[in-house]
Amino acid sequence: MNPLRSNSAFLRSLTRTLATLPAYQAAATLADAPPAFTEVGVRYSHYSEDDIDASSVIFGATSRYDIDITQLWIEAPVGASWSVALDVQNDYQTGASPWFVGTDQNGEPGVIMSGASIQDNRVEVGVATRYFWADGNAGLNVSRSDEDDYEALSMAFDASWNTAGNTRTWTTSVSNSRDKVNPTQGVIPVFVSDEALDTQSGYFGVSQILSRTAIVRVGLNYTYSDGYLSDPYKLNDQRPQSHERIALSTGYRHFLIDANASIQFDYRYYADSWGVDSHTVELGWAQHFERTTLTPYFRYYSQREADFFEVVADLTEPHFADDYRLSSYGAMTLGARWAINLGDWTFELEGERYWSDANWGLYDGDSAPALVDFWRGTMAIIWRFD
Amino acid sequence: MGGPATLVIAPPEGRGTTAASLVGAVESRLATLERRYSRYLADSLVSTINRAAGGGDFTRLDPESEALLEIADQLWQSSGGLFDITSGVLRKAWRFDAAKAPVDLSQLETLQKKVGWDKVERTSEGVYLPIKGMEIDLGGLVKEYAADCAVRLLRDQGVTSGLIELAGDVATIGCQPSGVPWQVAIRAPQGGEPLGGIALSNAAAATSGNYARTLRFAGRTYGHLLNPHTGWPVEGPTSVTVIGENCLSAGAVSTIACLQSPEAAMVWLSEAGLPWLMIDRNAGYSGPLASELDLSAL
Repeated sequence: MNPLRSNSAFLRSLTRTLATLPAYQAAATLADAPPAFTEVGVRYSHYSEDDIDASSVIFGATSRYDIDITQLWIEAPVGASWSVALDVQNDYQTGASPWFVGTDQNGEPGVIMSGASIQDNRVEVGVATRYFWADGNAGLNVSRSDEDDYEALSMAFDASWNTAGNTRTWTTSVSNSRDKVNPTQGVIPVFVSDEALDTQSGYFGVSQILSRTAIVRVGLNYTYSDGYLSDPYKLNDQRPQSHERIALSTGYRHFLIDANASIQFDYRYYADSWGVDSHTVELGWAQHFERTTLTPYFRYYSQREADFFEVVADLTEPHFADDYRLSSYGAMTLGARWAINLGDWTFELEGERYWSDANWGLYDGDSAPALVDFWRGTMAIIWRFD
Repeated sequence: MGGPATLVIAPPEGRGTTAASLVGAVESRLATLERRYSRYLADSLVSTINRAAGGGDFTRLDPESEALLEIADQLWQSSGGLFDITSGVLRKAWRFDAAKAPVDLSQLETLQKKVGWDKVERTSEGVYLPIKGMEIDLGGLVKEYAADCAVRLLRDQGVTSGLIELAGDVATIGCQPSGVPWQVAIRAPQGGEPLGGIALSNAAAATSGNYARTLRFAGRTYGHLLNPHTGWPVEGPTSVTVIGENCLSAGAVSTIACLQSPEAAMVWLSEAGLPWLMIDRNAGYSGPLASELDLSAL
């Protein structure tokens, strides 16, 4: 134990105040140094969609998707300026999803579900290396994802560097992904095979320390995809061959010394070439205790529907879709994160509840009958050692 | 800041910086702090705040000054009001630099009304001293803060081996270029040979003393540290040295110790949990550093 790291209440509270002065914040040479420790982590998430309301279903099961996500990673320093990381993730999904939206005998739209026997497993393996220098770091990440019906190979490069006396951090990244779609014939008929999708994406952003208690960030992301973008497991889904997306994201953190807490505010605007645009606002309160941080948060989301979305797809148009994810709707999420730090070990727990409703959005549009509500829970254990 | 300074650095290789440019950068950082916080410079922020006392106007603060006042507030609270940056006006009654008639007790009562950190108003508008003639003095903090700022500046320039000393307070970066920790001598209050050397690496040592400036009054010798509650000099330890991660924390612990009776100081130092050495008025030594330096308690 470091004899100069005292546990006295006076020094702990003094250290907290000192941390608001640049002279006592982690030095850039330390911030942009490779991790001093090897880190091993495991994270498990469970995502569970509520059953669809029986009155919205014309035919099929009312149960929906459950997804189990397991992630394992290790990151270790190599020499004085490098780190390497390996990340393996497995997603197992099971359940039913909307196949298409039709009309019942009264002319009311309703969902025809896919049947409850879809099972799919996806494995993604990523390797990354990162180089650190006094004022920044840069990383290269290659990953491959495999599932029965989909293969993806992606590569990403990112860099960040500090300027203005380390009060400003610039970040940029570019990535490319080549995907192959080869849907499996199962409980529902599928009419496509051997399709491909290429995606390029770029990001540029900056974060700025405004004062001893405030930090703001802003970033712009542009993504272009070309290829097969429809959902092969939906009957009435024919989307354009290209998709341009732009997203502006901003965030603000304000540390409250007396409360030993920080207020977190994030906003994201998204727009795409399909006519969808959306606003996401998130408010969080991170309360720091001696060894733990508890962060309750609330998120609001509102989306405008795609130009070619109809509640019941119009098959006479060149492009059409009845996917509820392309409809106009609003959504609310309430959740909390709890991080517990016990020396070399960190435990993280998170739970959130998501509700969506066509009437909660800022934009007009007909209500898609298959809008989803879900629970998501995550736990992680992280171990750091020399 | 009116005291001597020493800077020892090994310039980093391959970054185009020389010892001279690093010294220049540190000097300029220290000069900036002095221009802002010296009570001897008429246009400093501290003088501006003091001039505005009782006039009704708040003085706006930058984030750094706001944080330093917040630290002053914490030290005031943690010391039960003994560490008080408004207590400097009492020096008008206790004139440690006067050759003749150093003590003027007739003023003491009036001066004491101008003392009290709890009277100071701090809002989003800035800071305001509500009584005419009230003053703040950040001298008890800024020297240590300046040493930490110099360390940070040098680290940002890639320096991995260095030492800065500002009038007795020392902060170090890494070890000496040979790989051996920096050796810092502790001065004996009575003068003569240093008491011994303590090894520092990425650590700071701050010493607060009540022996350097004294005066004789009514047959007794008094040190220059004043108790804001009584208006009289404290009868505390002669000197306290504390080692900490940074100079400001070490200085805060040692300064508050010196404002208390030797018995209370021992409790305070033990609770703070950092390595310390206390020398009392009878030249007795105590604390973990005393045994490390092989100084026997009297």
